[in-house]
Amino acid sequence: MRWRGVSVSEGVAAGRVLRIHTGGRGNIYRAALAPEDIKREVRRFQAAVRLARRQLLAIKRRAEMALGGEHAYIFDAQLLMLEDRKWLEEVETYIREERANAEWAVKVASDKLLAVYAEIKDDYLRERSSDIEDVMRRLLVALSGEGQSRRLTEDAIIVAEALLPSSAVELDFSHVRAIASDAGGWTSHTAIIARGLGIPAIVGLRELYRHARTGDEIVIDAGSGEVVLHPTGATLEHFTTKRMRQHITAVAGDDVRAPLLTADGVEITLGANVELPPEYEGVRRYGARGIGLFRSEFLFSQRNGAPTEEEQCTAYAEIAALGGVDGAKVRLFDLGGDKQTAGDHESERNPALGLRAIRYSFQHESLLRTQVRALLRAAATGRLDVVLPMISDVSEVRRARRIVAEERARLEEEGKAAGELKVGAMIEVPAAVLVADQLAREVDFFSLGTNDLVQYLLAVDRGNDEVAGWFRTLHPAVLQSIKRTIEAANGAGIPAVVCGEMAATPAYAVVLVGLGARSLSMAASSMPRVRRTLAQVDAQSASEIAHLCLGAATADDAEEVVRVELGRRWPQLFPPENLPAPKSGE
Amino acid sequence: MLDKQVMIVNRLGLHARAAAKLVRTASAYHSSVRLERVDGGAVADAKSILSVLLLAASRGTQLHLTVEGADEREALGAVCDLIEAGFGEEQEA
Repeated sequence: MRWRGVSVSEGVAAGRVLRIHTGGRGNIYRAALAPEDIKREVRRFQAAVRLARRQLLAIKRRAEMALGGEHAYIFDAQLLMLEDRKWLEEVETYIREERANAEWAVKVASDKLLAVYAEIKDDYLRERSSDIEDVMRRLLVALSGEGQSRRLTEDAIIVAEALLPSSAVELDFSHVRAIASDAGGWTSHTAIIARGLGIPAIVGLRELYRHARTGDEIVIDAGSGEVVLHPTGATLEHFTTKRMRQHITAVAGDDVRAPLLTADGVEITLGANVELPPEYEGVRRYGARGIGLFRSEFLFSQRNGAPTEEEQCTAYAEIAALGGVDGAKVRLFDLGGDKQTAGDHESERNPALGLRAIRYSFQHESLLRTQVRALLRAAATGRLDVVLPMISDVSEVRRARRIVAEERARLEEEGKAAGELKVGAMIEVPAAVLVADQLAREVDFFSLGTNDLVQYLLAVDRGNDEVAGWFRTLHPAVLQSIKRTIEAANGAGIPAVVCGEMAATPAYAVVLVGLGARSLSMAASSMPRVRRTLAQVDAQSASEIAHLCLGAATADDAEEVVRVELGRRWPQLFPPENLPAPKSGE
Repeated sequence: MLDKQVMIVNRLGLHARAAAKLVRTASAYHSSVRLERVDGGAVADAKSILSVLLLAASRGTQLHLTVEGADEREALGAVCDLIEAGFGEEQEA
């Protein structure tokens, strides 16, 4: 199915749909309360306000870090609305006097405000009514008890009826590959955010939201304003080649291919994280130095089941060619858990800690052996490395290496060419950090998966809104772990690539460089802003900032250090006027 | 009680960011801070963002500022400075 809409941010992307429900306004009903329930209803409203505030604080923090603070102020205004005693009292009074349910009271009080706003003559000021709507919807969702679960552990293309600025920012930026929305009249803020993030966005897509389901494959081409749902293999291919042709001229003369040096001359390598073929174009366009992470499990979604050895071999050879001299790092299927499975998998009580990644592969050894054979054969055509996901100690590395050696021997017996295959460990389980020295002696490189590392280290479910406040990337324990891992790699003389969401966020990228990271990998679309940032900072200062963060007692303190220090040293990158006042009472 | 007349000088007027700064500044003091459009329009409590936004004060709007409380002198100074400095925003030539 195809749609055509209005492009508000350039680019092209393909991936899977994540439907975002922004909460409708049409389905709010009035319920009459019994007098004895009124107190409880007021408390329910107050709890929703607190939850909404917590969410907004997290969103604002995220916006400051990822967008350099430029656009965070809109959330400041929204936060103040939730602190506005006059308005809160109005809602509470309405609940008490009219014996109304909280949803209805919020709607009445908001509509009253919106009506007054509609009278404002000044266009720019009148547009602020979108902030009121945004806050109102957030409150209604909080009241509904629906956790706005945003399980963005993989990249996704957001499909929404109307995307409010806060919803856009709430998502993990580095995982949002594109935005498509039904409504044409979205607020300019969201368009600005999409452009700031360098992700494509198309609006005015009638009924796309109704037709798309989370997990569907989708292609977004903001160049032509076109959206294709359920693309066929041929469409995907046509699309890819078409885009490649268009970009060959666009790339000429661009300096993205020059080595990235910090202001004091330290070289930083930026690789690309990829999953779907249409992204390959971005890899060339933004001058990625190789593929830092190829998530191989996408091959399952492409053909609805386990891919054959031949299919995998072709796909890996293509990825190796794309990586060129810098090569490509292919992560073994990360199946199980909440990700896709080979189909024979029963639901687990605690999937994040369950049979997933390398554990799943060992349990389904023929699947693993097929993948290893395909990788070895493809490695004969270009430079390929394999990344073992969810490693917790060297026994898993040895077992995987043994399988690689056995399959190599079998291929040779069969007279088939097998290339060199370096073996690396994904460092994402805290145990691996603690035994990093031992691991470093037995692998060829480390890949640091910061998303899962934070989740496991801090014991926080990334998808659970209730604990969102505990998911702190700058927690000193996270920073210590990254430092320790990089030092272990340096000690053994092997490279360490940081390939989590953290690397794609400019402020965090500075901290990573300060912690000693020299190789980062991220979605290709994030590379320009990270490149821009790192080219202007010096590694010496970054190291000083990282040192201060490491000494911080809490994540709050570390964030404060980052905000203040980045703003002070590079005001052009992190404008000081947008830095929040020192925290008080929060 | 202290009062003073001030004019909104920044290009975008009392929009969300400026209003947020105003509310944060006013809220730092114990005194009550009131803003009234000199042209007879709305009256706002400077500690309530919704009421400040409803002033719909665009550039050039004259506001009458009234401050009352123990720290009224400091509050008046801080709020006036902020408004007269155009909320620290870059001005267009």
